[in-house]
Amino acid sequence: MPIEIPKDSWAGEVRTVSFGATAENGGTRSKTITVGGEKTLPFLQFEVPMPHPPVIALEIKDRRPDDWSSLLLETWGDVVDDPGEWAKAAEEAGADLLQLTLSLTDNEGKPAKPDDAVAAVKKVLEASALPLIVMGPGQAEVDNELIVPIADATKGENLALGICEDKNYRTIVAAALANDHLVTSRAPMDVNLSKQLNILITDMGLPADRIIMDPTTGALGYGIEYGYSVMERLRLAALQGDAMTQLPMMVTVGTETWKTKEAKVGEDVPEAWGDWLERSINWETLTAVSLIESGADIVVLRHPESVRRVRLAIEDLMAVPEPA
Amino acid sequence: MYIIGENIHIISPKVKEALANKDAKYFQDSAVKQVEAGAQALDLNLGPRKKDWEEVFPWMVETVEAVVDVSISFDSTNILGIEAGLKKITKAQPIINSTSAEEERLEKVPLLAKKYNARLVALTMGKSGIPVAADERVNIALEKLIPRAMEIDFPIEDLIIDPLVLTVSGCQEFCPELIGAIRTLQFAWDPPPPISVGLSNVSNAVPRENRPLINRVYCAMLMGTGLKMMIADPFDEELKDVIRIIEERDDSSATGKLYLKIHDRIEAMEEPLIEDVDTSDAEQMAIWKTVQILLNKVIYADAYLEQEAVG
Repeated sequence: MPIEIPKDSWAGEVRTVSFGATAENGGTRSKTITVGGEKTLPFLQFEVPMPHPPVIALEIKDRRPDDWSSLLLETWGDVVDDPGEWAKAAEEAGADLLQLTLSLTDNEGKPAKPDDAVAAVKKVLEASALPLIVMGPGQAEVDNELIVPIADATKGENLALGICEDKNYRTIVAAALANDHLVTSRAPMDVNLSKQLNILITDMGLPADRIIMDPTTGALGYGIEYGYSVMERLRLAALQGDAMTQLPMMVTVGTETWKTKEAKVGEDVPEAWGDWLERSINWETLTAVSLIESGADIVVLRHPESVRRVRLAIEDLMAVPEPA
Repeated sequence: MYIIGENIHIISPKVKEALANKDAKYFQDSAVKQVEAGAQALDLNLGPRKKDWEEVFPWMVETVEAVVDVSISFDSTNILGIEAGLKKITKAQPIINSTSAEEERLEKVPLLAKKYNARLVALTMGKSGIPVAADERVNIALEKLIPRAMEIDFPIEDLIIDPLVLTVSGCQEFCPELIGAIRTLQFAWDPPPPISVGLSNVSNAVPRENRPLINRVYCAMLMGTGLKMMIADPFDEELKDVIRIIEERDDSSATGKLYLKIHDRIEAMEEPLIEDVDTSDAEQMAIWKTVQILLNKVIYADAYLEQEAVG
């Protein structure tokens, strides 16, 4: 007996958002990243094929990180001492795009300087032609101080800039507006605040298709259920037609997973936890794949092997079944 | 609509200060003004008063009863304080606000209400908190609150069920469920218990300028479920005007017509529709957007009125 598979159809759709300017558009990127455009829940290809697969970013820093797992530092080796080299290695590891996260201090512990931050971004742009997200270190004043000159110095490249939060978004949005960049809007796992921030940012005149929503999340075992539900709720609202939730979502999976005990600690843990490196990569991969299922369009990872595994999962999920 | 005036509440800095100074005139003024503004009972929320309950509760009853005749509602978790106040009551039948379905409260508070012939507000909240779903809230009333009243022979007409208003800012999914809860509670028992809610809770944590609109739209919706009693701000003239419009079925203004339509849709177990709204009228669109967030159709954000309408 033939079985009729019920299909949902939705009133709304996620906005299509692109960034990264190629030579044709006045930049130096080798390609443009396009995400969003979903007309149904993730990977329900039998309803409406997903127009753009989720993409994978690798996170790099402007200098050797102080707080990254020794596993990551061993894997990357000496490239972490040079953002250009690191960018090149990350591109070779198969990333679709890069996220450069700026440090709060320099190697000697002194406050980060805008000139150094601009130089690091330029190095990355020269070394790799992938589209780029640049995130401030996460302290409002420093973020503004570093991101504004970067926005000016990279006009035309069409980057995504963060961190915009409810307490600090105006300066970065203005810098993005003036220099043809995008912004990422971050809210602390809260649907109301996510939406509110998007309204505030668009009120400043930045078109909604230049915003990537970062709803923040927790790693597997550390609040992922909550993060998952928030993203699912935002996506359902988007499909129901709520314009200020109709934005692609990014999640910083690497940041979250590599601070869990499971990924951070290799000694004095139960034997049943198994091999440390394998466990850490599993942690990052499973967190990423779960969040992709809840609607993430961009996942930011830290380990190259996680990139490979998440890529395989995306390819499987994107496969459109042959009609019977 | 039976309004229990909410304005003597310890959360207000003025109330806090007046209480610290034992400023009888402040409370008498507030009581008289609330009653003049239409309050039929006065809620007194003085906090737990762990140290000075023995003195404060009786003092407050004497102070307020010296100038008004209405029911006093003791809004406190301090049972000893409530009892000290109840002993001083000489005028209208008092109210205890409240008990929940938690074992310890449900054991003690109804007995106190019975002993002093007080009405008792009973919250549909158990030890695991407030359920979202309407049915689960009704079940708490049917399985815990009403049976406890029956057990001690407490009159059901004095048991005021409060199925709980939660804020649209953060607990949005609770808002539409309350509609179903109030509807069902009225048919769940014979005679039906009175039902009351704390209306202003719906706009807790909402920017001050948006609170009155959310309160009065929700009021119109809840009146559509048959709600006849609530704790609210008797000084909110626009709220009272919506209540009047619905009670008198005054369709002489376009806004009034919309409030009536919202009420009637809910009463008919329907949802208000965009067709009910004159979309060229900014005030009506603001009401429509508010309906949408209260029905959890559109995610609440502080700037929800600035967003283009959905639906």
